[in-house]
Amino acid sequence: MQAQSLPQSLLAKQRKQSGAAAHVHEAASRRSTKSLRTPTWLVYALLCIFWWGTWGFLSKLGSDRVQPHQLQFLFTFGLIPPVIIACFQLGGKVETDLRGSLYGILNGVISGLGMLAFYAALAQGQASIVGPVTALFPLLTILLALMFLRERINRVQGAGMILALVAILILSL
Amino acid sequence: MKGWLFYAGLAVICWGVVGLLQKLGTNRISSQSLMVWLLVGFALLLPWLWHGGDVLQINKQDAAIGLLSGVTNGLGSWFLFLALERGAKASIAVPLTALYPLVTIVFANLFLAERLTALQWVGIALAIIAAAMLSYETDSASAFASERSCV
Repeated sequence: MQAQSLPQSLLAKQRKQSGAAAHVHEAASRRSTKSLRTPTWLVYALLCIFWWGTWGFLSKLGSDRVQPHQLQFLFTFGLIPPVIIACFQLGGKVETDLRGSLYGILNGVISGLGMLAFYAALAQGQASIVGPVTALFPLLTILLALMFLRERINRVQGAGMILALVAILILSL
Repeated sequence: MKGWLFYAGLAVICWGVVGLLQKLGTNRISSQSLMVWLLVGFALLLPWLWHGGDVLQINKQDAAIGLLSGVTNGLGSWFLFLALERGAKASIAVPLTALYPLVTIVFANLFLAERLTALQWVGIALAIIAAAMLSYETDSASAFASERSCV
């Protein structure tokens, strides 16, 4: 999902930020971890988990009732309000770099196709299994990044790859 | 092969490619801009998904489920963005958010009464841990990668 793959985009955005901005971020996280209250970012991260998890559940409900293409049609319209709010709140002026926007559009098309497959999987399998298995998509992303961007796979990711393969094997029994 | 596994594999392939494109895209534009273009991409599929308008024939409750799935997905992305804006380290926040299937599992067991074997629980636990580990990127590695791909 577009949504699930957004993390990578955010990660990349952070990369782009200047050293000064990164420093501010670090300072902010130090401040928030020092205080006894739950850090604000953690609350937001947990809300992210809640909404994405709810999305997975609603996808299962929908997949049991209607066709994948109908569900994806509705999904697209449902996504409009949050995207508008996000743009508005962040004061994000939409950038029109040709290659950047083409990547974005292509992302939408391929994400949508992935969604259709996700709904088809949910219609046949249990959400408790299909959800975690499809969430393993970074497995392919890091392999592609290794091949095309020559990014290295770190030890944690390497161990994660092995765990992922074992998990898929067990769940396919 | 089980039917669901085939389709889940297709989803992983599509979303895996998307992850790569997103790495490339955010080297050029911000992630919120990318999200707008992403929506444009989704919209491009609408004529193909239209299928003679059969979506208009589904009942209100099912339509609400479909719309809400889009809303919740967008909200999730928005909160991740906020978390990073509020000083979350990407190397911690992103693997953390990979735990979202846990919430799906809770709901599916509460409301759909999905029943799983002990072995399946083990597989699920491994998959969720694996997802968090796979999305772990060290900050220095990311900087290195971005220098390379910006060339």
